Amino acid sequence: MYLTKEQEAMLRGEYGWSTAKAMEIIVRVGESMGADRLVEIVHAHVSGVSFSNIGVYGSRFIRDFYEKGGRARVYTTVNPGCVDYGGLQSIIDNSLLEQQSIIDDALVRMGFKPVFTCIPYWYRPPAPGEHLAWGESSAVIFANTFYGGFTNREGGPIALAAAITGYTYHAGLHVLGNRRARVAVTLAPDAYAYPAGTLGLWIGENLRETPFIPSAARLGMGELKVLLASMAASGSHAMAVIPGLTPRGTYIEELEERVTVEGRDLERYVGEEPPPGGRVLGYMGCPHLSLGELVETARLLKRHRYPRRGRLLLTIPAEYVSRYSWLINELKARGVDIAAGTCPVVSRLRERYDVVITNSGKAAFYLRKIHGLRVRVAGVREVVESVYG
Amino acid sequence: MDQYLSFLGEVDPVRGVVKTESGEVSIRGRVLVFKGGRGSTVGSYVIYAMRQQGSSPLCMVVKEAEPILIAGCVIAEIPLLVVEDYEGFRDALKTKRRVRYMRGSGVIYAW
Repeated sequence: MYLTKEQEAMLRGEYGWSTAKAMEIIVRVGESMGADRLVEIVHAHVSGVSFSNIGVYGSRFIRDFYEKGGRARVYTTVNPGCVDYGGLQSIIDNSLLEQQSIIDDALVRMGFKPVFTCIPYWYRPPAPGEHLAWGESSAVIFANTFYGGFTNREGGPIALAAAITGYTYHAGLHVLGNRRARVAVTLAPDAYAYPAGTLGLWIGENLRETPFIPSAARLGMGELKVLLASMAASGSHAMAVIPGLTPRGTYIEELEERVTVEGRDLERYVGEEPPPGGRVLGYMGCPHLSLGELVETARLLKRHRYPRRGRLLLTIPAEYVSRYSWLINELKARGVDIAAGTCPVVSRLRERYDVVITNSGKAAFYLRKIHGLRVRVAGVREVVESVYG
Repeated sequence: MDQYLSFLGEVDPVRGVVKTESGEVSIRGRVLVFKGGRGSTVGSYVIYAMRQQGSSPLCMVVKEAEPILIAGCVIAEIPLLVVEDYEGFRDALKTKRRVRYMRGSGVIYAW
């Protein structure tokens, strides 16, 4: 692999232990991925920062990088942790605060922006063609598909290494020639009635190649986020092409195959009906809610006073709490539980529910697997109605 | 170990054992031969953790290497080797008791 003089010096240790180690990670992974050189990035997004997921070891690794001199060389944001930074809710267990704060402290001192959100594009939307090193899979697929940014699914340690060196390996989706849409996905008329999250789960499990999805152009930003995040969770997708949305020049259209998805294909991803009289946890915010989605939820709740069948949990970026406090208060007044800078996928729940109803296929995928919960995937309106109606 | 391995979930980093369907296999201080990594990105941190506690394998030999495994071995400073003829190597190992790898040499001896 070709390295510049500066990159070689980094690798030799002239910039300190952390930079050398970070460079070594990138070069070694790059070599095995067939990279010819490194590429300069403009934004790193570090995932794998929740104590609940990475434990003492991950925590020690991150602290090691900080203590041995690692500092951000590029704009860097961080993924949600396992505690609520807003202090407004009662569903997520905050007992790991001490352990999480040790990680957070190191991240902040390395110069990372403590946004604690999986929608880093809310802070800095990538421009088409920009090279990024993002770890969070739902953010990666959104960056490639919607913004036309260039990033692989880096995972925690590699995104951290890219933040410290300012480079990542030039392979995979950093190369235009690898950004080819090969399979066209069309929906049968009866499939339109199913929530976007179920289509995402189906694509993730059934397709390997980058899909071309014309029907997704009609989706709003919220549903689009859910569709893409669900694909990235149940499969290893890092990109889709949506004609009319994905910026031209950031992909190659080379369709070889066409699949049609029918309603019955999506049926099995919907999950279970809530039992009569059971306690329901409605959940939205995986990925974190955009401001538009939060406003929309508040609008849907205008007709209701208090939850009847359980609780509604929303997860948002930490910064919304101070910036949109009036909106948050309005939602709180209607009994909504709001967790900031975290989500149930990377944390632990304090209360038991008979069923979780969510608009997110990704949340459904992980809540079933990690927490062993019964989950139903539904549209936004149905999620609200099932708790308040 | 003729399978793909997710270090998160399938390995106990505290005791240095792999949990398989037929029981537990200790990998502490040994040469771990397996097909390659799979699963969560947290796997890199588990490999690092094992090294920190002294429960890690001395060296890993795989059929194919993927980013999570490579990143884990780099941060933990554990040699990772990819064998060209994995099946041949695996079969040859069945009659051997010891494996030696000289760091940086790229050659594995078995006898």
